[in-house]
Amino acid sequence: MLSKDLIKDIIGTVLKYGGDFAEVFIENKYENRIELADGFIQKANTNNISGIGIRGFLGNKAIYAYTNIFERDNLLSVAKRVGEALSETKVSNLKLDFDDKKIKNRHLIHFYPMEIDKTEKAKIMKTAYHAAKNFSNLIKQVLVWYWEYDQEILVANSEGTWAEDRRVKTRLMINTVAEHNGNMERGFYGPGAGMGFEFFNTIDVEEAAKRAARIAVRMVDAEPAPAGKMPVVISNEFGGVIFHEAVGHALEATSVAKGASVFAGKLGQKVAAECVSAVDDATIPNGWGSANVDDEGTPTRRNLLIDKGILVGYLIDKLGARRMNMESTGSARRQDYTFAPTSRMSNTFILPGKYYPEEIIAATEYGLYAKTMGGGSVMPGTGEFNFAVMEAYLIENGKITKPVKGATLIGKGYEIIQKIDMVGNDIARGQGVCGSISGAVPADVGQPTIRVSEILVGGRNK
Amino acid sequence: MNLKEFKDKLFALAKKNGFEAQVEFSEKMEFMVSYANDDIDQYKDASNSRVTIKILKDGKIGKSFSERFDDPEALFNEALSNWKITDTEDENFFYDGKGKYLEMKTYDGNFEKTPVKEKLDFVKKLYNSAKCDERIVTVPNAVFQNLKISKSISNTLGLDISSTMDGGFSYAISISKDDNTHSGFWFEIGKRFEDLSPEQIGKKACKEALSLLGAKPVKSGKYRVIIRNTAFEELLGLLKSMISAENVQKNISPLKGKINEKIGNTILNIKDLPYVEGSINNRPFDDEGVPTKETVIIENGVLKSYLYDLKTAKKDNVESTGNSLNGSIEPINLVIESGNYSFNELVNKLDNGIIIISIDGMHSGANPVSGNFSLGARGYKVENGEIVHAVEQITISGNFIDLLNKIESVGNDSKDFGGVITPSILISELDIAGE
Repeated sequence: MLSKDLIKDIIGTVLKYGGDFAEVFIENKYENRIELADGFIQKANTNNISGIGIRGFLGNKAIYAYTNIFERDNLLSVAKRVGEALSETKVSNLKLDFDDKKIKNRHLIHFYPMEIDKTEKAKIMKTAYHAAKNFSNLIKQVLVWYWEYDQEILVANSEGTWAEDRRVKTRLMINTVAEHNGNMERGFYGPGAGMGFEFFNTIDVEEAAKRAARIAVRMVDAEPAPAGKMPVVISNEFGGVIFHEAVGHALEATSVAKGASVFAGKLGQKVAAECVSAVDDATIPNGWGSANVDDEGTPTRRNLLIDKGILVGYLIDKLGARRMNMESTGSARRQDYTFAPTSRMSNTFILPGKYYPEEIIAATEYGLYAKTMGGGSVMPGTGEFNFAVMEAYLIENGKITKPVKGATLIGKGYEIIQKIDMVGNDIARGQGVCGSISGAVPADVGQPTIRVSEILVGGRNK
Repeated sequence: MNLKEFKDKLFALAKKNGFEAQVEFSEKMEFMVSYANDDIDQYKDASNSRVTIKILKDGKIGKSFSERFDDPEALFNEALSNWKITDTEDENFFYDGKGKYLEMKTYDGNFEKTPVKEKLDFVKKLYNSAKCDERIVTVPNAVFQNLKISKSISNTLGLDISSTMDGGFSYAISISKDDNTHSGFWFEIGKRFEDLSPEQIGKKACKEALSLLGAKPVKSGKYRVIIRNTAFEELLGLLKSMISAENVQKNISPLKGKINEKIGNTILNIKDLPYVEGSINNRPFDDEGVPTKETVIIENGVLKSYLYDLKTAKKDNVESTGNSLNGSIEPINLVIESGNYSFNELVNKLDNGIIIISIDGMHSGANPVSGNFSLGARGYKVENGEIVHAVEQITISGNFIDLLNKIESVGNDSKDFGGVITPSILISELDIAGE
């Protein structure tokens, strides 16, 4: 990392040429990605990402530049370019004393993954492979991906922020393909955490692999899902992707500050059914989406977003804070230094309600049980979301009956959260990678089992 | 340490340990400016570089990349530890660079020479055009971006090549409002700054958003459908995955074992081309340094070839098609041959049905292993050859290969989406879920 003096000079140079705020983000990230197919390790890559992002603000205007040439002359010339692009100087006689009080690390790491021999990682991948492959003779292919990274960051800015953080993440992803009578279906399960190699002491690798295999096997002979509007019961854990996409993205300052979100200007208003409360919480120890500070150096916190149906908070970064005249919620994130940070979710989930999941199923005459969700996406400007259901069953007369495949759920986020009419007590979180304008970042989604009284299910027509 | 020193040290280290080695050096420059709320929203002007090394012995590769150039030994050791755990039975290769490379100009330099001020004026104009009507409530994104990527690859077998490519693109999103909000999007790619017209892109985004006013779902059922180029481009993501020889060999492509079989209507012709006039994806060699070439994928509806890299080609006893890109096998310019009908003629032929203009959820709702898809969609309802109202909150579902068989007519409105060039198509039947 760079010396304090050089960092002061970079910040000073930006402000000398223009702007009223300057920020430096330095990153060094080691990453391992290993791929297994057909029982063999096919590819193993190690990546070292290392660079510096320099950003300046003038009012609501933001300029971003990055480089990975760390020589003083280059850094100062990049800083000058940022300042010049802002052009108007608002800060004179900057006196910069960094507030470098140590931030408490909430995410203890026992075994830094980089220090663990790669053969150990290969061993775990093969355990997963065999467990999935042996689950059923319908399983024709198993792809296992291992991903870990160790990211060290430093953020310093003209307000005196000096924050360092180290984020360690480990994840195992199991993809299965089942084939029967010419039909092919996929299954996936990808647990991860903000942990080192000790993560594998907290999960049962074989069970995780079997879970991925079960989905493919159950779905391969399933009939197409019915099409049309119906009640949908969405299971816990990764089911929370529905809140993440349908509501969470539209609460990010990125779209709220521009008025390009259906939730802009709705603070204090009832936006969801009374049984719905939701939070974004980057402070969960060793959470997949957790961090001690966000990517602007602001300490992270637990942000209540919806309280018993009332909208009480947004997810805000520094630029969004300026534009919205509110304070940052510690929600600035980015994939790496090549992206300017913006407001993003961390670990986002619906809080538990009062029903046992069995009660919710029993109370549903006819509908779809979305047991395992695939991914989804949303257009924040219109709230239109869509999700693929990876594993689904029909509910008939209050009972789960047959498996059905190919169901996609679509709707508008602000409508769907008003139609949640039962919330279970079985909260759990699942891991995903969320893609948006500041790149791909690890994010947890979560919820208890919930029921939505009506969603359009896109399946096949009889 | 300069690149030559780095390379020499690494090659020496590899040789000493009994390995062949390959070094790829790449440099990326990006400029981006976006406009929103009557002001600059984001502005990025940046560059970085990275070195990727691969070491080869016993048909196995170990790989590592870094954005620091100070320590070839550390990089070699990382690659070595990756080589050690790799136990695939597939044989990997390096290319010796002795093949014939196509002559092509991939770098123009026009975007770099264009002053920043003109780019700022561009997004301002784009923003204003995208706000062409009072029913447009907001323009959250009016974006211009240009990129330049330089790459050189050399190895201990004698390969030593380099190239630089550049290009730019622009898009705008307009949001219109009635009882609901509707999003309009338009995107263009260019090789030179003057290829992109901010007025046209903005106006088209605006018109798209306005065209969706009053949109409502249609009744669930089977419909005749036009998939406009803007939506078909996305669906073709499924084909890209299916024709990768890697996926075929891994048993995760429904096109396995289908070479020389008819998989689509006879009017369907698809090629991968290394050079298309005006494309920013053109390249004389792939990421393994193999010369690129024209590959016929589907001819008169018959599957003719998959796309290959060195490893998969050897396994199938064919030559690499030069499609090793971004760590997997991808087309360079996947070109769907244009047909005879203008878009309006397609609409006339449709007579009664639905036009799909955009789809959502490709990454989750489309399954490249089975070809099945179920996706959110929007567009227009057509009655007696005329658009009668806009449609949204519907899904389309089906199987991609089945859809290739149901192509009735192909349009002549080909558009370049960067890596995919496609016209609109008319499909005889597609499942739609709505009301």
